[in-house]
Amino acid sequence: MAERGGGPSLSRRSLLKTTGAAAGLAGLSGCVDFIEGDEDRDLGRLGEAETAFGNCWMCHHACGQQLQVNDGTIVDISGVDGHPRGSAGPGTEGTLCPKGLGEMEKAHDPDRITRPYVRKDGELQEVDWDEAFAYTADKLRDLAETHGPETFLDASSWTTTNLHEVVWRDLYGTPERIGRGRHVCFGGAHLSGNLMGVGADMRFVDYQNSEYIIAWGRNIFESFAGQWEPKGVLEALDNGATLVVIDPRHTPTAQKADHWLPIEPRTDGALALAMAHVIIEEGLHDESFIEEWTHGFEAYEEAVADKTPEWAAEITGIDAELIREIAIGFAEAAPAAGIALWTGVGQYAESQKASQNVFALNGLVGNIDRPGGLRLWQGPPFSDPFEVRDIDLPNNAADETPALRKYDEYADQPYRHTTGIGHNIVPEMVENGHIRGIYTHYDNPINDGNSEAWMNALDEMDLVITVDAYWSELTRRADVVFPEAIQLEKDTLIDYAPAWSAYHDRRWMTASEAAVEPLGDSKPGFQILRGIAEEMGWGEYIPWESEAEYNEDMLANVEYSFEEIAEQNYVILEEFGYEAWRENGFNTPTNAFQFDLDEMDAYVRSIEEVEEMEGVDLETGPQWLPPGTLGEMPDEEYPLHFYDTRSVFFAFGADQPLSQQRSQYAARHGLKSADYEGNYLTINPTDADPRGIETGDMVTVESADGAGELMAYVSERTPPGFLTAEFGFGEGVPHEEGFNTMMLHTEGVDPLSSQPDRHIPIEVHANGGDGA
Amino acid sequence: MFYFDPNRCIGCHACSISCKQRHDRDADADDWRTVTHLERGEYPDFQELPVSMSCMHCHDAPCEQVCPPDAIVKREEDGIVTVNRDRCIGCHYCAWACPYGAPTYGDDGLMSKCNMCLGEGPGSGHGKPPKQKAEDGGLKLSCVDNCVGEAIKAGPVSEVMEEASEAAARRFENGAYNSRVIVEPMDEDSAAGMDDVADASINADDEGAAAIPAGGSDADGGASDWLNG
Repeated sequence: MAERGGGPSLSRRSLLKTTGAAAGLAGLSGCVDFIEGDEDRDLGRLGEAETAFGNCWMCHHACGQQLQVNDGTIVDISGVDGHPRGSAGPGTEGTLCPKGLGEMEKAHDPDRITRPYVRKDGELQEVDWDEAFAYTADKLRDLAETHGPETFLDASSWTTTNLHEVVWRDLYGTPERIGRGRHVCFGGAHLSGNLMGVGADMRFVDYQNSEYIIAWGRNIFESFAGQWEPKGVLEALDNGATLVVIDPRHTPTAQKADHWLPIEPRTDGALALAMAHVIIEEGLHDESFIEEWTHGFEAYEEAVADKTPEWAAEITGIDAELIREIAIGFAEAAPAAGIALWTGVGQYAESQKASQNVFALNGLVGNIDRPGGLRLWQGPPFSDPFEVRDIDLPNNAADETPALRKYDEYADQPYRHTTGIGHNIVPEMVENGHIRGIYTHYDNPINDGNSEAWMNALDEMDLVITVDAYWSELTRRADVVFPEAIQLEKDTLIDYAPAWSAYHDRRWMTASEAAVEPLGDSKPGFQILRGIAEEMGWGEYIPWESEAEYNEDMLANVEYSFEEIAEQNYVILEEFGYEAWRENGFNTPTNAFQFDLDEMDAYVRSIEEVEEMEGVDLETGPQWLPPGTLGEMPDEEYPLHFYDTRSVFFAFGADQPLSQQRSQYAARHGLKSADYEGNYLTINPTDADPRGIETGDMVTVESADGAGELMAYVSERTPPGFLTAEFGFGEGVPHEEGFNTMMLHTEGVDPLSSQPDRHIPIEVHANGGDGA
Repeated sequence: MFYFDPNRCIGCHACSISCKQRHDRDADADDWRTVTHLERGEYPDFQELPVSMSCMHCHDAPCEQVCPPDAIVKREEDGIVTVNRDRCIGCHYCAWACPYGAPTYGDDGLMSKCNMCLGEGPGSGHGKPPKQKAEDGGLKLSCVDNCVGEAIKAGPVSEVMEEASEAAARRFENGAYNSRVIVEPMDEDSAAGMDDVADASINADDEGAAAIPAGGSDADGGASDWLNG
């Protein structure tokens, strides 16, 4: 545990004072009663602390944080009342989830990297910033001169500044960039949302106004994009809304649901088509919305004509009458009915088609951007600091074609038409010499898929620049390691999608000034990118001394200064209405919400190539693709489904090392006393018993492509034949205990979106002995 | 008086973590506030109920009654049960008496537990002036302040009763849970049949617990104790 700075000791008993007992006797025979009035208090470390704010960056969804800082040490952390992301809305209490509470420990964590390192004579060596920047610039120039800047990959995610795009794309000149949503997080659904016209907003419902919420493959109470989500669902339930959860696993969200549909894995697409069948049969669809604002309804209607609930019941394992009931309930509540869908229907090989089928239901019942339905969120009117300063940025990547569209080697990657690059193909690109360098920012490609090949690829690359806070298989492989200050140590204006929130019709912004000094010699990411740019001779393009100054220029169109927002942590801006499509239409070639994607040329090309490669008939409209059509299914050798999951304690690799979260994660499984703080393989007794596996045993899990060890947790939470483990542990991430589940994976993808296929057939066996 | 609404508890353990951080306690120390996940049934007829518990500051404080050196005090001025660690001899009698498994013991062998954030850290709170209301500058309870689902509340019984549903208030007045804590009945739509599970786990005097804990929250103490109580 970290030494807690120089604050006063806890046992200090200053101002100890006994008072009369008459100040407020309890109402009920000795029950707790707090007194009113202004008695002297014992001032502990909180008594002398000053208040500061943060915007939680543990999962980068920016819940407001209120801190107590005593002599440079954060001694307490909690939420901010009424915060757009961290509360249920106006007049409600703000809180922090376990991740957000953990940022206090992260701020003072002695395990963090606090000095820059560069590779000299094969070894990573501690250097000062000047040397690190000079070394980096030399290597970048070498790479550009020898192989061209287009061989460098920008793989930064979760930066608190958008400067990386300017530095790598506009100035250095590479067209290659890997992000989160499309490439590794929920690619299938991300592509569908974008092509159909609702963007990435399909994850969130206008919860508080909703009468009928379907959490489709989503576990909103454990995995959320800000606490406004679980809080909003709880409010909706208080208001009498119906909650339906569609998930093979029993989750805390399923526990709170009115209906839990324990669906057969990867059969979401069939359920969605059958619901549409019922809705059309019952005449509950929104005819005027379909007529005026959609494209391709005929194809949809045709696709669902024979998809009866009885047909879907066979496939999904959900009773036909229940399918009918849910379809009717959803359609009757519409437009105050919404579907929240994220990774659950975004990470398997058939997920683009499956999510298209689900999203089509929104168009069918006309709930899009209407109160209680699928909200199309609008962010604040940020200005472009480069325009504000009249800086004429070059676009040095403008004439570069991404390698996947340039070289014949990638003709077998159909997603290249819609998506440009894929996570899984990068190791092959490295082998072919088309990628030779990379810049990562907290995003750790080693736990996102094709992990073994990625580790080899990182070894092969000429230049690996990484910005991170912890040592891992990624940072240890790097040529340059820049230690970044965490959000609580930076002046931060949250510009990552400040849209969805508990304020359903208001724009908002959230900001904070550094609560404490950066740990050791770490620096904000803005300063790191600016330092690289200056060494590269691009100083004139980035005149801002600090992130705060840059932030100020993002606010040219807003009545608040950065400092004014930071002082109060968040501000609520002007209202935005519903039904934005009435004014602007949808962001598609047809200007309509698209059931059928026949007008999307890039998509049509992808479809044709997949048809040829896989020997299947594909439609551009909604279509049922049985699991196994594009991905793998369990067989005799690997008879079990495996799928990775998220817990409420961790967000990707960023906070696994923190002790309180690890400990409670173990407690949540009743395994705190075990000498193990890795992830658990959750397995139903039906599968565990014949294999002689009990909770607490170490087991080996094996796929056709890889294997590893972790601790078993035997539970009825998961169905027979379907095993899960939390993502973000083991080899490759900072907390190396446990198993990196993506070591089970190599090249499987959704060929339409590039999303790594995270449903993997496996076998598991007990390691023997006494376990841990 | 604590109040708990299992319908609003999302089982996230923010209460346990914020308690640990407020009182500067190491992660591997036993929790003053535990979250236990009670399970029942077989997939898919399966239910899981998260229950967040700590010292209840009982009106009849069984721990105080058995403490040989009188280290434990049920304070008249604010009802909070504190421990004077200068007097504690580490005999664990309180652990045997407590229906909730609330007392924990550190490397020094001395007892520590929830003090309703009367002070910060083990042993703090004892001998302190009465707890003040938050609006008068009293420290808010970290578990209450950080409960994502607003499932935990604390305060004078009259105030907490105002927040409770009619059904919960009636049960409390009828002596449910020995009038030590106010608990909302389970929602009938989503958790039918889980009421008896909650009752069995929270009402320690009830024989024959219907639920099995998901392993118990801690190695010793925690849910398994109050289930078997």
